[in-house]
Amino acid sequence: MHAGHVISGSGHALLIGWLLFGSFSIPPEPAVEVTNVALVSNEEYAAMLAAQEPPGAATEVEAPEAPEADQAGTPEVSDMQDAQPEQAEPEVTETTEQDAAPEAPVAVPEPQEVTDTAPEIAPPSEDIAALPPEPRPEPDAAPQDVPRVAPQPVARPEPDVKVDEQVQQPAEQSEDAEVEQEEQEATAPEEATTEIVTEAEEEKSLAPSVSKRPQARPEVRQAAVEPEPEPEPEPKPEPEAQPDPKPEAPKQDEPDAVAAALEKALGGGESESETPAPSGPPLTSGEKDALRVAVSSCWNTGSLSSDALRVTVVVSVSMQEDGRPNGNSIRMVSSSGGSDAAARQAFEAARRAIIRCGASGYDLPREKYGQWRDIEMTFNPENMRIK
Amino acid sequence: MRHVTQLATAALTALAMLLPLGATAQDGPLRIEITEGVIEPLPVAVPNFVPETPAATEMASQIARVVTEDLVGTGLFREVPASAYISPVTSFSAPVQYADWKAINAQALVTGAVSKDANGRINVKFRLYDVFAGQEMGDGLQFSGTEAGWRRMAHKVADAVYSRITGEGGYFDSRVVYVAETGPKDDRRKRLAIMDYDGANTQYLTDSASIVLAPRFSPTGDRVLYTSYETGSPRIFVLDVASVGRRELPTAGGNMAFSPRFGPNGQQVVYSMEQGGNTDLYSMDVNSGQSTRLTQAPSIETAPSFSPDGSQIVFESDRSGSPQLYIMPASGGEARRISFGQGRYGTPVWSPRGDLIAFTKQNKGRFHIGVMRTDGSEERLLTASFLDEGPTWSPNGRVIMFTRETQGAQGQSSLYSVDISGRNLKPVRTDGGASDPAWSPLQR
Amino acid sequence: MSILPRAALLIAALALSACSTNDRFKNGSGTGAGAGAGAGAGAVVPGSANDPRSPAYFQQSVGDRVLFLVDQSSLTDEGRRTLDGQAQWLMTNTDYMATIEGHADEQGTREYNLALGARRANTVREYLVSKGISSARLKTISYGKERPIEICSEEACYAKNRRAVTVIAAGGLTS
Repeated sequence: MHAGHVISGSGHALLIGWLLFGSFSIPPEPAVEVTNVALVSNEEYAAMLAAQEPPGAATEVEAPEAPEADQAGTPEVSDMQDAQPEQAEPEVTETTEQDAAPEAPVAVPEPQEVTDTAPEIAPPSEDIAALPPEPRPEPDAAPQDVPRVAPQPVARPEPDVKVDEQVQQPAEQSEDAEVEQEEQEATAPEEATTEIVTEAEEEKSLAPSVSKRPQARPEVRQAAVEPEPEPEPEPKPEPEAQPDPKPEAPKQDEPDAVAAALEKALGGGESESETPAPSGPPLTSGEKDALRVAVSSCWNTGSLSSDALRVTVVVSVSMQEDGRPNGNSIRMVSSSGGSDAAARQAFEAARRAIIRCGASGYDLPREKYGQWRDIEMTFNPENMRIK
Repeated sequence: MRHVTQLATAALTALAMLLPLGATAQDGPLRIEITEGVIEPLPVAVPNFVPETPAATEMASQIARVVTEDLVGTGLFREVPASAYISPVTSFSAPVQYADWKAINAQALVTGAVSKDANGRINVKFRLYDVFAGQEMGDGLQFSGTEAGWRRMAHKVADAVYSRITGEGGYFDSRVVYVAETGPKDDRRKRLAIMDYDGANTQYLTDSASIVLAPRFSPTGDRVLYTSYETGSPRIFVLDVASVGRRELPTAGGNMAFSPRFGPNGQQVVYSMEQGGNTDLYSMDVNSGQSTRLTQAPSIETAPSFSPDGSQIVFESDRSGSPQLYIMPASGGEARRISFGQGRYGTPVWSPRGDLIAFTKQNKGRFHIGVMRTDGSEERLLTASFLDEGPTWSPNGRVIMFTRETQGAQGQSSLYSVDISGRNLKPVRTDGGASDPAWSPLQR
Repeated sequence: MSILPRAALLIAALALSACSTNDRFKNGSGTGAGAGAGAGAGAVVPGSANDPRSPAYFQQSVGDRVLFLVDQSSLTDEGRRTLDGQAQWLMTNTDYMATIEGHADEQGTREYNLALGARRANTVREYLVSKGISSARLKTISYGKERPIEICSEEACYAKNRRAVTVIAAGGLTS
């Protein structure tokens, strides 16, 4: 009881103190103003360009937006009905400019192409099979809350293996196209699960009924690199007739024997002679799959809004002969299913995927360069929505 | 017969003419379709911002820290640690060495600079780069404000980065009002508190002399509705956040008024009022104080929440025998049930994007936070625990914050957040126990 | 048939009743400290729990609370017996007002439990009115799950928290 009085008394004292001194009154939220940054003037930019040819950052050359107008604070409004923000904060009116500012000038600068189109032609080396180290699978790698979701589960790699997007072989390309054994600087795909497991679902999997979880398979090699192998390369013949009747070409996902036979027959058949590169027969379904799988492993939709995850984008890219994408050539051909803004984010994620996983060159047959010099990739995120 | 053969031949010929195109060197590009990808945090590097005046040195690194924490805290980004950097960023205007950032797999790069002018105002500017594309994403932006507001400026930088990469609005420059709790379970003291979304800058809005429950922000974030026992029985109050002034809403006629929520125009409040043991929904015009009864049922109707366009209300009712979710027009009228799963459903909250409804679900002795579409389809449970309840949406509709209470005599309440995918479940930092969070809109 | 089983039954019954009175006592004094304190200070009641006219007697001997089943707001037979006693007491002690507090256990959302507590309080109120108590003397309030008296997270505690407590206060004539 005494304690009660003390508490009550001190409570009242506090209350009175509060009433007297208003110690609860909140300092108004600090105001923040927004303006666009245009730190690099045209001249500076030009000078910079001259200095070093990869124009790097300075693609943006806008004049500064209207400087922040120092607005007088709105007087404090005590009427609570008033829907206006009472806080006397100089509101951030300029914020809108960030949207209004056209993003257009970001057009890809030409000069860069020069550097990109002068590849030193390296010896063909695409035969090196990607064989990862044998990561000892965790005893029971049931899907857990792993911050990575991939088409197939990946067991937690050995602790000393560097995490990488692709199962990657040591960089030195050994001359012998032999399958290499485990090497020093080996990398393994990051641990992944096949689907997002919420806490609620984990709950279920803890239930006594032992659900058959996919055991982490020892051939992890396939894991990150191979989404569902449903080979459907869509041969899409062009409808325009060209008076060059040739024996029928088989659908591309038919056995390679036929394709191989046809390869010979069709070998130098391409009429477009503007390209000096070998054209070769069409890619086999296996070759296409390899490319698809390679791009898939870098297509990270984890940071996309749900709007962007509704957008299918078609992206074109021209490839260098060494199998690397020409970064500046990547364009959005079309998009469907969302706003322009959502499409832009979807495109950017697609672009990152193409560039990132192509950084050391896609595994494409050089003798068929003409077949894959220009690629159109459709990124359809239907399966990637909340998993 | 002959005819047919001729036709067939013609067709075959035509076919033969068409086919080679697909087979030989395409003048069309090679086409592939990518339908599988990975979902993982995007590696982002946020080097310490460059202090452009000596006085800004400490703040420059603090701001970079807050930006990093904001981004990483979403679960959508991963920090590339400074120890991995190859080239330091020493000047804001120097061109970015993309190769150096590519080499360490930093996919997004945020550079910034901080200066302090003669008046003590802080200027923060930043740029965002898509490292692998080798180009800037959008224009740089500059924020200026008082020194005390440095965290807000950091949050604004993070919001801009987040929205440029993900394509949806951010939520970092926002606040949370909640009920701060102290004391044991059978003598719990409650008072209203407000803080930044990340737990910084906590301020208390009421004392703990009487029970306060379930605060809710107005659409502009300047006012808070809540339920208080300060007059003896539960009544609805509206509190002005800046002045901390409060007044009771005139919900006369009933015994007890609670569970209020603003409509999207900030003028209308929908709430529950109990009369003779029966709880129904009412709506009030805040200016006139006039209330309209929305439901007339002998069952309990509570926890109403407006659709973002203000045309509908989702609420909880036990008219079917157990608490379930219903939607009706904002003016009352025919309600349709949307929850049909096993268990009991409560505290529905319409997402700010309008597409989902978050709710509390109780089933087999466990509580869940879940989401469903507005027609009740695609129900997904995001959490499971002894007691989770009271979801509130981040301003962009991507994250849900809620109350989690632990079991037993020592049970405590605290705040948690979870991404609507069900990932990134984590506690929200508060000073002491906390319940009933309500997320503000983005600040201006 | 033998005496032994009967004795055992008797002992068991005694033990049970001792148990429940003990609990009730404990609970009663528990809330008495909070809710009853004002009444005690305002109305100078000489009698303690032994004085049949005292609120303390009401709490401990008549029984100030009824319990409810999960999610229910209807009275049990035992609850009705308790309320009959309350009604009788209120009939004889007309100076007193009563506030009926409705409570819920912690299983349930805050909002729903508030409404459920109100329902329970009102059930008690209506029962007392049906027994002849003037509705003007009876107020209700719900605390939902905000004021548990037992804090464990088990049915044993929940059962005691799902309650409606009749709190007696002096001043029937003034208001």
